[in-house]
Amino acid sequence: MSSVYKMSTISITTMEANPTITGLGQIGVVLRGEPERMMQWVQQWSTRRVVLQVGVIFLGAGLYGASMGYWREPLQGLFVAIKFPMIILLTTLGNGLLNGMLAPLLGLNLSFRQSFQAILMSFTIATAILGSFSPIVFFLVWNAPAMSAHVPGVYSFIQLIHVVLIAFAGVTANLRLVELLQRLSGSVGIGRKVLFAWLAGNLFLGSQLCWILRPFIGAPGLPVEFLRAEAFKGNFFETVFRAIQNLFFS
Amino acid sequence: MNGTNPGPLDNTPNPIKIPVSSAGSYMPPVIPSAPSGAAQPLGTNPAEQVPITGPVSAVEAILRQPRRVIFQLKQPNAGSVITSLLLIAVVCSLVYGVIVGTFSGGQQYWAAPVKIAAGLLISALICLPSLYIFSCLGGSQARLVEVFGLVAGLLTLMTILLIGFAPVAWVFSQSTKSLAAMGGLHLAFWLVATIFGVRFLHAGFSHLGTKSDGGMKVWVVIFVLVVLQMTTALRPIIGTADTFLPAAQDKKFFLSHWFDNLDADGGRSRKWKGDGN
Repeated sequence: MSSVYKMSTISITTMEANPTITGLGQIGVVLRGEPERMMQWVQQWSTRRVVLQVGVIFLGAGLYGASMGYWREPLQGLFVAIKFPMIILLTTLGNGLLNGMLAPLLGLNLSFRQSFQAILMSFTIATAILGSFSPIVFFLVWNAPAMSAHVPGVYSFIQLIHVVLIAFAGVTANLRLVELLQRLSGSVGIGRKVLFAWLAGNLFLGSQLCWILRPFIGAPGLPVEFLRAEAFKGNFFETVFRAIQNLFFS
Repeated sequence: MNGTNPGPLDNTPNPIKIPVSSAGSYMPPVIPSAPSGAAQPLGTNPAEQVPITGPVSAVEAILRQPRRVIFQLKQPNAGSVITSLLLIAVVCSLVYGVIVGTFSGGQQYWAAPVKIAAGLLISALICLPSLYIFSCLGGSQARLVEVFGLVAGLLTLMTILLIGFAPVAWVFSQSTKSLAAMGGLHLAFWLVATIFGVRFLHAGFSHLGTKSDGGMKVWVVIFVLVVLQMTTALRPIIGTADTFLPAAQDKKFFLSHWFDNLDADGGRSRKWKGDGN
């Protein structure tokens, strides 16, 4: 009850202090992590804002996906440009119910809509960062020797670059999210607990969605396709487990 | 000491009094810390408010009064300042390109300037979105147009400095046949010019409310890597080849290209020594 009171007090004061920001200026606010405005936006649902954030996710993740798949073939780039934003939105929607339940259970009194809005903000930050890197990644893969040339080390290097960039975007987005959650709850501990609970759920579902929607970078020996023929066969965790088993016990 | 820029002593109303401790011994006076450039708000000096009216004025401003350029980039007429800066950057890179082309001569007289000017502009455009995002993540309130203006300033300062290095580069290009040596020299000049350009960029962001410059440091590394790769993507710039650009199957990363060139240069050098014996 006390946290609800604290939230509503803050929202009234900040609404008076901050003039309204519309359009793409809102993306700057979430990137800078301006706490008052972000708290206000989490508490006040705005369909326009949600549409804008979904648009940024489609554009940012789409551009990054296109540059990721382009190395295999331009058609693969188009496929990944569609699949990458889908993973993010399906993860947000698929875990919406669970995340909305976990927040109050862990001490943060957020409604389903508010938790959805907070997670959407963090994905907006991550995809805006990825989108801004897409010209650099495109330039990198355009300069790389063709995938079919099998130049040693190049495939691993490209993979590593993607891992570093996606990790950077994800870490930055989650740092902004944890700051927001800590402010909303008024407690560092509760903010962290909620973040880790959300992260665990999102990583669990997200990694399986990635598995189903593979390929992304593609492989020279395999055809260019939207989904692999055996897309729903097996799962991400089973494959990781088998790989570890083969590595240590075979 | 002129009237517009008074020094610290000009503001001192009374002679400095040396404080004396209770024990009677003299204590050294506390020296007030000099105000840093970043701490003063932009436009406090009237000279910074003088509009930049064209390329000549822009060259003078970016070399002598970088704060004036940054101030003008925040004004409504920033578009004309950015245009002037970009025009200078293109002209200077074309001139430096001609000097680079003198090493091989022939079609490199026009190919090298075109590649250097286009390469720098494309590199800046590729890196611009990430710089804007990094500036936002660092807490800056800069608009995209201001970030674009700062990048234009970076390119301008870099290329003006390259013009300063041009006579030295020309002298060396006429006295060596080693592609690797000339490449290394141009690269060294470009790196020095980049350091000064980055200082301007850093000063610009410090005036645009950036709280953390970690992101900008990462961006500088990315920008340097992109430009280095651009030199390989647009090769040959110093040497010669049958085609204007490398074929699709000859794509390489810059480190691999450089090592190949060093090997080839070493081979040529050994062969030359062998012929001499």
